[in-house]
Amino acid sequence: MSPAKSGATAAGWKSSASVPEALHEALGLLLLSLADNKRLLGMRYSEWILGAPTLEAGIACSAMAQDEWGHGRILYAMLKDFGRDPGALEHERESDEYLNSELLDEPPEEWTDLLALNALLDTALSVQCEALMDSRYTPLQFKMGKLLDEERFHFEHARGWTKRLAGAQAGREALAGAFEVALGPCLRWFGRGEGGLWTALVDAEIIDGAPDTQRARWLSRVGRLLAEVGLEIPPAADADLDWDGWNDARRRSGTGGPDDETLARVRGDKNRAMLMD
Amino acid sequence: MGRLSGEKLYEIFARQKREDRFEHVGTVQAPSAALARVYAWQTYDEAKWFEMIVAPRDAFEPVNRDEAPFTLHPAEAP
Repeated sequence: MSPAKSGATAAGWKSSASVPEALHEALGLLLLSLADNKRLLGMRYSEWILGAPTLEAGIACSAMAQDEWGHGRILYAMLKDFGRDPGALEHERESDEYLNSELLDEPPEEWTDLLALNALLDTALSVQCEALMDSRYTPLQFKMGKLLDEERFHFEHARGWTKRLAGAQAGREALAGAFEVALGPCLRWFGRGEGGLWTALVDAEIIDGAPDTQRARWLSRVGRLLAEVGLEIPPAADADLDWDGWNDARRRSGTGGPDDETLARVRGDKNRAMLMD
Repeated sequence: MGRLSGEKLYEIFARQKREDRFEHVGTVQAPSAALARVYAWQTYDEAKWFEMIVAPRDAFEPVNRDEAPFTLHPAEAP
């Protein structure tokens, strides 16, 4: 039995001091994973401020980039409660220390690739955040409400553009190709169904919903969107997913990470160098 | 930037407090009301709005003029 589970009347944990020691590592990884994905996703949005198909879409990318960077900043700061130095996390890690989805390693080449991140990965992050809204680790409750308010418009942006592009043959094919690439990493991102890293956090009521439950929530939302435009999603049962080379802690396959240019920009290397003694 | 096919102009109104009157805050160009809502919220974020609404420009009935300037798209205005 989990050391933390004590029913619906369980008292909230206001800081890491109240959280059982055995949960610290997984909770730290959860926060860092969300922070890294949001930081990098924000950078990907920002890269389309000037290249989006319309001025309005560029401004939307700018707003979404700001949102994601703000969320990342909040999440990095929360890690201080677990003895981590937010400054070092934001500026001093190597590529293989980032806990980001493989979809964010390199810049999206096409607008449809960015929309796949917007519709699928951004929604996966939101589903994860929603599962923390009533977290027993109460600092998460306070942060998630505002964050999810902003995310509502990210999904509507993705939905609007998906509908628009799917209305023409060329756009529809490009969109289907981009979504197909992103589906697998997003489905796996929630983690293995059984015995994975997040089980203890679910048992302790820090996360509401095991990986399979969250995956089903995501599929329901994304599936509705794709159904609206007549695109199909492949079989999604946990057993059908390919876990070969999966890294539980980094929530991704393989040993890669952000490419050199991405890493330098996300850490702010160039401009920080001018400020160093 | 010119007009893409299927795009319309939307007029945006907002108020900061419930008791305020709506003020016109700007326009966006969008292919659907759904995207117009997103663009409006993300573009005109200079205040903490209590309420924001959008309407397609072609839903407005001109009162004293039947033609430009209001009926013109901004990109076409002199």
